Amino acid sequence: MERYAILPIGKQGVLGTVRQFLASLLEKKLVDALLVPLELPTRDNVVPTIVSNPEQVQAANPLAPVMPVNAARLVSRITMVSPSPDRLGVVLRPCELRALVELVKLKQASLEKLLLIGIDCHGTYPVDDYGKFVKESSSPTEDFLNRVREGKDDPLLRKACQTCEYPVPMGADLTIGLFGANLEKGIVLVAGTPEGEKVIQELGLEAIETEERQPAIAKLIEERAGKREELLKQTQEEIRGLDKLMAALATCINCHNCKTVCPLCYCKECFFDSPVFEFEAEKYLGWAKRKGALRMPNDTLLFHLTRLNHMVISCVGCGLCTEACPNDIPVSDIFRLVGHQVQKTFDYVPGRNLDEELPLTTFKEEELPEIGM
Amino acid sequence: MDKMAKSEAVLVIGAGVAGIKTSLELAEAGHKVYLCERKPSIGGALIQMDKWFPDNHCSLCQMLPTLNRDKSDQFCLRRGVNHPNIELLYNTEVTELQGKAGDFKITLDTRSTGVDSQLCIGCGLCAEVCPIEMESQFDEGLGRRKAIDLSNPYATPHLYAIDWEKCTRCGECVSKCPTGAIQLEQKESIRQLQAGAIILSTGFEEFDPRLATQYGYRRYPNVITSIELERILSPGGPSYGELIRPSDSRTPASIAFLQCIGSRDSRRDYCSSACCMFAVKEATLIKQKWPQADVHIFFMDMRAFGKGYHRYYEHARDALGVQFTRCRVPVVKEDPRNHDLMLTVASEDDRPVKRQFEMVVLSVGQTPAPEFNELCQVLGVETNRWGFCQTRSLSLVETSREGIYICGSAGGPKDIADTMVEAGAAACGASKWLGSPAIRPTDKEPMEKPAEEPAPKTAVFLCGCGGEIASTLDLESVAEHLGKLPGVVHVETVPYLCRSEAFEAVRKRVKEHKGNRLVLGACTHISGQMLDELTTRVGLDPALVRVVNLREEVIWVHRDQLEKALAKAKSMLAMAIEDIRQQDCLPTSPMTVTPNALVIGGGVAGMTAALSIARHEIEVCLVEKSSELGGNLKDVYSTLESGDTRASLRDAIEQVQKNPRIHRHMDSEVVAANGYAGNFRVSIKGKDESINTVEAGAIIVATGGNEHRPTEYLYGQNQQVITQLELEKRLFAGELDSGGLRSVVMIQCVGSREKDRPYCSRICCSQALQNALKLKELNPGIEVNVLYRDMMSYGFKEAHYTRAREKGVRFIRYEPDRKPEVRQDGERLTVEMIEPALGGTLRLEPDLLILSAGVIPGDNRTLADILAVTLDEDGFFQEAEEKFRPVDFVKDGIYVCGLAHSPRGIEETIAQAQAAARRAVSLLTSKQLAAGRVISETVQRQCRKCEMCISVCPYGARAKDDETDEIVVREALCQGCGACVVACPSGAAKIRGFRDRQVFALIDAAF
Repeated sequence: MERYAILPIGKQGVLGTVRQFLASLLEKKLVDALLVPLELPTRDNVVPTIVSNPEQVQAANPLAPVMPVNAARLVSRITMVSPSPDRLGVVLRPCELRALVELVKLKQASLEKLLLIGIDCHGTYPVDDYGKFVKESSSPTEDFLNRVREGKDDPLLRKACQTCEYPVPMGADLTIGLFGANLEKGIVLVAGTPEGEKVIQELGLEAIETEERQPAIAKLIEERAGKREELLKQTQEEIRGLDKLMAALATCINCHNCKTVCPLCYCKECFFDSPVFEFEAEKYLGWAKRKGALRMPNDTLLFHLTRLNHMVISCVGCGLCTEACPNDIPVSDIFRLVGHQVQKTFDYVPGRNLDEELPLTTFKEEELPEIGM
Repeated sequence: MDKMAKSEAVLVIGAGVAGIKTSLELAEAGHKVYLCERKPSIGGALIQMDKWFPDNHCSLCQMLPTLNRDKSDQFCLRRGVNHPNIELLYNTEVTELQGKAGDFKITLDTRSTGVDSQLCIGCGLCAEVCPIEMESQFDEGLGRRKAIDLSNPYATPHLYAIDWEKCTRCGECVSKCPTGAIQLEQKESIRQLQAGAIILSTGFEEFDPRLATQYGYRRYPNVITSIELERILSPGGPSYGELIRPSDSRTPASIAFLQCIGSRDSRRDYCSSACCMFAVKEATLIKQKWPQADVHIFFMDMRAFGKGYHRYYEHARDALGVQFTRCRVPVVKEDPRNHDLMLTVASEDDRPVKRQFEMVVLSVGQTPAPEFNELCQVLGVETNRWGFCQTRSLSLVETSREGIYICGSAGGPKDIADTMVEAGAAACGASKWLGSPAIRPTDKEPMEKPAEEPAPKTAVFLCGCGGEIASTLDLESVAEHLGKLPGVVHVETVPYLCRSEAFEAVRKRVKEHKGNRLVLGACTHISGQMLDELTTRVGLDPALVRVVNLREEVIWVHRDQLEKALAKAKSMLAMAIEDIRQQDCLPTSPMTVTPNALVIGGGVAGMTAALSIARHEIEVCLVEKSSELGGNLKDVYSTLESGDTRASLRDAIEQVQKNPRIHRHMDSEVVAANGYAGNFRVSIKGKDESINTVEAGAIIVATGGNEHRPTEYLYGQNQQVITQLELEKRLFAGELDSGGLRSVVMIQCVGSREKDRPYCSRICCSQALQNALKLKELNPGIEVNVLYRDMMSYGFKEAHYTRAREKGVRFIRYEPDRKPEVRQDGERLTVEMIEPALGGTLRLEPDLLILSAGVIPGDNRTLADILAVTLDEDGFFQEAEEKFRPVDFVKDGIYVCGLAHSPRGIEETIAQAQAAARRAVSLLTSKQLAAGRVISETVQRQCRKCEMCISVCPYGARAKDDETDEIVVREALCQGCGACVVACPSGAAKIRGFRDRQVFALIDAAF
């Protein structure tokens, strides 16, 4: 059961209010540190930072429409070897939070002593576009919120964001609620867990009821789901059959950037970076001889298929793989398409719930009877 | 082969599924097993069948050992049994028996098959030229065979044999045989051997329906038996699995199964137990593949009494649309124009109507084999009035002669699951009379491996097969091609690789070239024992030898396509060479075994198991939650077939209490467990809350079940309404004034076969029969009405059902949707129901109403979670496989028996406890468990410890090491299934023999 409270907005504006809220968490020792994006001095990007001094929080900007890294990777980095010894608040977008839940299932992160603070996500710009946007605006965050208010289209948003049907954090202790809120007056703080409720109580915030939030969310999700359907259809057309798929991946140079930014690619050493794929020259020439020609690098299709095979059930659609591709291969679109089908098959939504087991780890005697009939 | 002391050996007579199972059980424990079979091949009745209830697969391989598994070097039991401790004696019968239990002297008579198995290469030329065609017994007369032919088409190596009755001695085959293996004179040879115990597992003969002339079998072509249908449905059968009827080879649109053919009649007053489920299974297979077929089963009682049977029956009826009609069809008539068949059957409102079917299947029952009586006389064991073996009171496996045991249908008709339990119980009983084996072949020290692997040097031998291969394949060109491949040091063509001269030649050449890998291009003949012999002679690890089947897989497939044959042979050999070049041969670490057992539950199952294990000088820890031993048996006074049980209970309790090896933990329960087969650590909480930790190599779950407490039919509200157990207590304790009773009503299936509990409780019909007969005995004038749905008087219980009817007990059937109504009018109890035969309402006013309350599972969830094993849908423990591994869990080292597994009678519980004990003893008497060759391992450098491999491993073979925090493989438990490899995205989980480079190289070598 969700409980709501209000973070009143004064003259400090929306961003200021959020900063004040985050600082108060540190000041009142509700958390010992925060993992939150801080603005660079150049202001044209943000970088996730562990902050323990409340003053430093004044540079935090979790609302900036840019996501240089999926911070689930960083939470994994922090808690992989041992869980956090102190109370750590992590401020995450919905796709980051979902990826984190998947990583916890995969034992690559620990939620122990973590306070999960989600934010309602309108979407993010590509890093370059964000840099340009910042240069043209004096208060870019407020300007952005005005641009997208009430679910308005913003063509600058990344395609992954425009088609994301999960704009609301799932499983967060606290959510910084922007949807349906009157941002002239206040931000809605949503407590999703007893932990979150405790924080609201400690901060002495006023409990409220809101009737605007759920309809606003429903409307946004409906729009985005519609766009997702279009994307899936279009992608389906573009990669149907082996020839088209090969064509779509033709410019892959095996840089493995997509693997590096993927929050869920958690292997220590990628199988494709291992010596298994180092062959003697005679092999390459042998293959070329047999087929007539051998495109190099030669194991790109296998690389993408293997990554699909391993990760797609947990793919949260953050889209950073597409961003990272130097040759503009729509990696994310392909993952969305395949992921949608696979996840639907197992009735599995990655990151929805920590208690839902990964489909690969469950075995049912009678499963998918239509396959192999 | 006879180096073992005499009392270690056991003779098993009959190599059907029961004989194979019981042989494997004892062979695994290191005993020498002589497995003697009258026919020229093994497998018995089961080998004719392909798919079994409940999962509609062939699961014969489930009988194979999971521990020390490489020692029974095979994957498919249809092809034969290959175990170093089992000596198979085909065409062999016992002619004389002397001595006594522990020291039997047996005379065996072996008839030659006319084909020398040492010389025969299985090429089949003899059958090709044989002019005598006859009906194939294997295909139930639906297919043809020659007078010299394979008696079992699956057997590997192929075993050709002459049918001496049909053979005309024309000599065609003799002149054609390339190896001179055929001799047209049948010879007999006498052999004497010694054994400590004998197990009879000769099975059954299917009833010959020609004896029931009214069904027109063999007069009407479209009347077939259920076994014939089995062959028709088999992809390896006469119609390659197409459902066709004999008269016109058309798929029949309508099929009628007639049940109880040769069972439950005046001459055979027993139920064949297996045919109901057999028919339901065949109907299921038909409906799954030909959903439009109209399939009817005409039956008297649907005896779906075993674990999971009722669900399967309901699925066939409700989900697949198999029609079930309750009536015994009196006669089958044929329409001579189209060979359709006319039956008079019951209509929906129970009136006789005529119906036409395109095919009729007779569900033929089980009868003793004709030679069985003679065998029993030779062995000096008693048979019962129907000619099956007589067993002792409360035992399903002990014959009248000490040291001789029986299992399977030779002791009475039964299905596979019950046969498997008895096979284990018989092995348990027999082991009492066997000395403990001195050396187990499976305890051999693992071969020492040099620290550094020498470079792979592969020797290749190509068999010409006396021209069979050489005339089609240009072996010289093959040899030239292979000689250039990496790692190959020698290629040679030999005329016959399967000759022992060739073995010697191979050994010399390998030595000469310092070869350490071997590839053989040959045929199926080079397999099993012969391959073992060859590798031993050459001195190579079997993991470093590959056989490519050039005859069956190349020549016989591409006889007229020389180019293709040549290319394929080169490809397959190159793949084998590359595969083996990359094969590493790492030493495995054998696992030690803690030689103690833990038995959970002190009822009849637990006590039997504990006593059976303790007999092998193994310490047993017996945990019982109450303060008394005996469990449910404390409330039982007698069984239908064995009579009084009180003395046996007292005896068992006394034995357990007196046995110094059995350590009792009363008022105790298991609260925690960890570890794995051979090495469990279990915490037991005592009455005073103290925790005791014990180490055990094996655990037996015998926690029992409970009688259902009815909530219906005024139970608990009216003193006159009691359960069968309560009646039994009053009857046998003399608390009931039966003379003062006028009328008793019994209601069957109270709380069983209902929506919430869709299973048959199996024992309540027997309880009802026993109590009804006892009432009639005490007071012949008493009126007893049994209201039932299906009387589950399977096997010999049927005779008691007949006797009860003869004594005047009335059996009235009710439908589950029209249950009897019970009311209390003042002092008077009334039972009202629709009488199906008359259609009117029947009103009874009993003095006592007895509810057959059935069995419900105990609180199994807690223990299942502690032991990390699973429960079935009904809350009983889930065995590893329903038919072939009835007492095992998928997790090795834990076994289940009694009501914890499923509802069953006392005799059946005892047998199952003995079977479970046998499994535990085999494990506990192993000094160590060797790992298989194909096992998984973890590359720690790549492992991210996500533990996906642990969660997907069905065998508990992967775990996180507490100390190193690394993911480790318990090698002896690993079955090499590869689930971990699939689950691991990092490539940190690997399977030896299937490494990435190896598989890639193998694929590359193919082209």
